[in-house]
Amino acid sequence: MRKFLRVMAYEYRRHVLRRSFLLALLSLPALILVSVGAGFVLVRMETDATPIGYIDRAGVVQKPLPQDALEELAEPVQMIPFKDEADARDALKNEEIQGYYIIPENYFQTTQVEEVYQDSAPSDNARSHFRALLRFNILADQSPQIAARVVDGAQIIIRSPDGGRVASSDSWLSIVLPLVLGIVFFIVVMSSSGYLMQAVVDEKENRTMEVLVTSVSPGQLIAGKIVGLIGVGLTQLMVWIAFGVLGMFIGGANFPALQEQFASISLGSLGLMGLALLPSYVMFAGLMAAMGAMVTNTSEAQQMAGLLTLPIWIPYWLMIPLMKNPNGPIALTLSFFPLTAPLTLVCRLGFTIIPFWQLVLNFLVLCVSAVGAIWLAGKVFRMGMLRYGKRLRWKEIFSSTARSK
Amino acid sequence: MPSIKIQSIHKSFGELKAVNGVSFDVQEGEIFGLLGPNGAGKTTLIRIMLDIFKPDSGEVIILGGEMTEAKKNLIGYMPEERGLYQDITLERCLVYLGTLKGLSASETKERLRPYLERFDLAAHKDKKVKELSKGMQQKAQLIATLQHEPELIIIDEPFAGLDPVNTRMVKELLQDLRHQGVTIMMSTHQMHQVEELCDRIALINRGERILYGDLADIRSRFSGHAVWVQSPADLPPLPGVEHVEDGRHGSQKLTLSAEVSPQQLLASLVEQNIPLERFEIATPTLDEIFIQMVQEAEGEEK
Repeated sequence: MRKFLRVMAYEYRRHVLRRSFLLALLSLPALILVSVGAGFVLVRMETDATPIGYIDRAGVVQKPLPQDALEELAEPVQMIPFKDEADARDALKNEEIQGYYIIPENYFQTTQVEEVYQDSAPSDNARSHFRALLRFNILADQSPQIAARVVDGAQIIIRSPDGGRVASSDSWLSIVLPLVLGIVFFIVVMSSSGYLMQAVVDEKENRTMEVLVTSVSPGQLIAGKIVGLIGVGLTQLMVWIAFGVLGMFIGGANFPALQEQFASISLGSLGLMGLALLPSYVMFAGLMAAMGAMVTNTSEAQQMAGLLTLPIWIPYWLMIPLMKNPNGPIALTLSFFPLTAPLTLVCRLGFTIIPFWQLVLNFLVLCVSAVGAIWLAGKVFRMGMLRYGKRLRWKEIFSSTARSK
Repeated sequence: MPSIKIQSIHKSFGELKAVNGVSFDVQEGEIFGLLGPNGAGKTTLIRIMLDIFKPDSGEVIILGGEMTEAKKNLIGYMPEERGLYQDITLERCLVYLGTLKGLSASETKERLRPYLERFDLAAHKDKKVKELSKGMQQKAQLIATLQHEPELIIIDEPFAGLDPVNTRMVKELLQDLRHQGVTIMMSTHQMHQVEELCDRIALINRGERILYGDLADIRSRFSGHAVWVQSPADLPPLPGVEHVEDGRHGSQKLTLSAEVSPQQLLASLVEQNIPLERFEIATPTLDEIFIQMVQEAEGEEK
């Protein structure tokens, strides 16, 4: 037992202290930070505080936007009314305005407005301001509640009969989040089980294996490695989740609209995901370790790992049929096949309410597969650990299994 | 009680019979040589002794019984294919391997120090293993084998890759260990090292044991019917000498016919007043015995 702990601690420290691991750990948050930052910069670049003009031939604009409506705009601009187009054109030439709108006399029939500008179209903030101004004036004689309702537009809320689940277009995050977490989780799983496979292949390649197995039992050795590497993956996941939560706090504090999204996240679904993804992680780690023991060098190992990765992503390729019929035959088949089960579960959690028995069965399939993968890893490891020249064949593994029974 | 007792071990890989009914004992406190040409089955035998491979049939008794996890801490094994972690520092690598033999990290560090100094590696302990020369890595591997002070040491080709200075050092180290009562089994095909170090040997060829026993007994058993003679005078024709062969430094090797004993030859040389600088029973070197045995074994097969 002590040796198992030593192997585990060694593998954990060896990978966590690696420079490449730290880079990988920080690169995802850094990437997100950079892309969010770039988004902000782009939005900034799209904003222009230069006034904008309008010629109102239909007499729509009677009042300016009230203060509370102005505050909701990203960056309001000054709105300059012009009597005739020549004045507006002069102002545009002199760069006093970034463009102007002509509201034609028949506006209420056509609901069309003409936009005039020189080199570049008016900025988004100027357009939004003008739209808000029109909307406000058109609805001016309605009661404030009706006006607000019209501006908000349609909102569809889907509720399950038992009330256990609510989805609405306003809570998109609750659908997207499991999918994104699924991707993040699998990046972690694949990279850390990749480390594990590499560690096993390295020990075969540099011939440390023989010294190791005369010090530790193969079972303790492989178990120590798997648990150590899962620790590495969980560390990575924890750090990323910590960054995510931090981002939510910062985002929530600065953008009140996001808070509603965060509130819509179902902790129950996330808990279910966690419960299902842990045995899947063990399963993949076991399979990767087995492959490491089977092959004889790094390039072979990578090919095998590629083959294993393909089926994992099938549910994401089949996202559309899964979305259309999240309880249909495709969904069920993928749910109970070990390699596709984890991400199918993640997709379905976003799209539907999974019956309880299916959740239990899904979880059981994953647990049994995890145990099976560890068993296989131990078995292949014992047989393949000292194979240097020749790859171990599946036939040999299973025929010897049959014999040992 | 022997440290290792192996009885009628058979092991095949597919069609290939790697080990075919080999038995021998390694006695406590001796240096035992497991000899054989390349591919004879030495490494397979060692792996069977260490429980890395299971034999198809036969029995291995190691340190008084079956191999257990606890016994692994009492054994030091240096495989032929040397292996150390390349990407970490020498000290970290050795400490990890030491802890896998049941020592604590601080204990390992403590025990490492004299070895690192003896092997001139103390100044390199913070270097990555891959930055060390092949010879240094070889010495580091030896430290990994010895640092937990095992009762039984099994070394596959201990001198491969060492220069003469380091070879001498390793030889002295093995002799020291024998004096301390450690049992050593080494596998090699470097016969002159075996002659200097080993008490007993087993010779394996194509998976079978073809020679086994005390080294001195084996050599006398193989001493042919010949003598080395060196004389400042020319040797006259002597009765009972079938063949004369020139050796080094003016020595001649006289092969005698079956009816004549070396004593009779000596008596006749003395009788003829021939001055003698050397008269010695010609025992073959282990190299010669090895080649002779292997050739005989292969001749029989044909």
